Amino acid sequence: MELLRERAGLPAGDRNLILFETAIAEIGSNVLIYTGKHGTTGPPVEYSLRMEAGVATAFFADHGPPIHNQATRAMPAPTSEDGRGLAIARKALDELAYKREGEVNTWRLVKRL
Amino acid sequence: MSLDVQSRQTDAGVTVLAPSGRLDVAGAPMLKDAVSDAVKNGQPRLVIDLEGVSFVDSTGLGSVIAALKMVRSSQGDLRLAAPNQQVRVVLELTTLDRVFPYFATVEEALTGF
Repeated sequence: MELLRERAGLPAGDRNLILFETAIAEIGSNVLIYTGKHGTTGPPVEYSLRMEAGVATAFFADHGPPIHNQATRAMPAPTSEDGRGLAIARKALDELAYKREGEVNTWRLVKRL
Repeated sequence: MSLDVQSRQTDAGVTVLAPSGRLDVAGAPMLKDAVSDAVKNGQPRLVIDLEGVSFVDSTGLGSVIAALKMVRSSQGDLRLAAPNQQVRVVLELTTLDRVFPYFATVEEALTGF
């Protein structure tokens, strides 16, 4: 993330970069938890990060179970102790795309920096 | 990477917990344990000093909400102090800044508590 900040010429503590990093942590953690619980053989997780024309894009692909029923979950009540991860990522990003392609979940996270 | 949590008590009987590291899926249980110990010791007024927390995710937030519930169930209260910019951004994004009014420093959090 530090390399991305330097390449983008952004100051330390840039809000958009903080939001992007926060979203990556949420989706990454979600992917690892679900593939850890239900994972199959084969490549566990693919991850890539791209910076182009001021737009940062992260991509995840995993072989965990489909999560269609959770991808659009709203931010839970303030007293709830869980269920915020995907809602945080969606609010933090300009675009969060999820697709199930065969046995693979793919995630695309986009943030204009 | 785990979370280290230091604990101290002020002369006024307030417990100050100072976690250090990432308050995420790996670190959240350490904070929960420290809060549980503090509540068992009959000190339900807690300040969580976030100065040493470099990053918080949704699971880390969940542990802070759990802490608030534990403390309030013992007729106590909890205050957050010295969150860095990433923590403030996440509190704002989730609107939990309305549940947890935070203080710039531990000293400010202790004033009148």
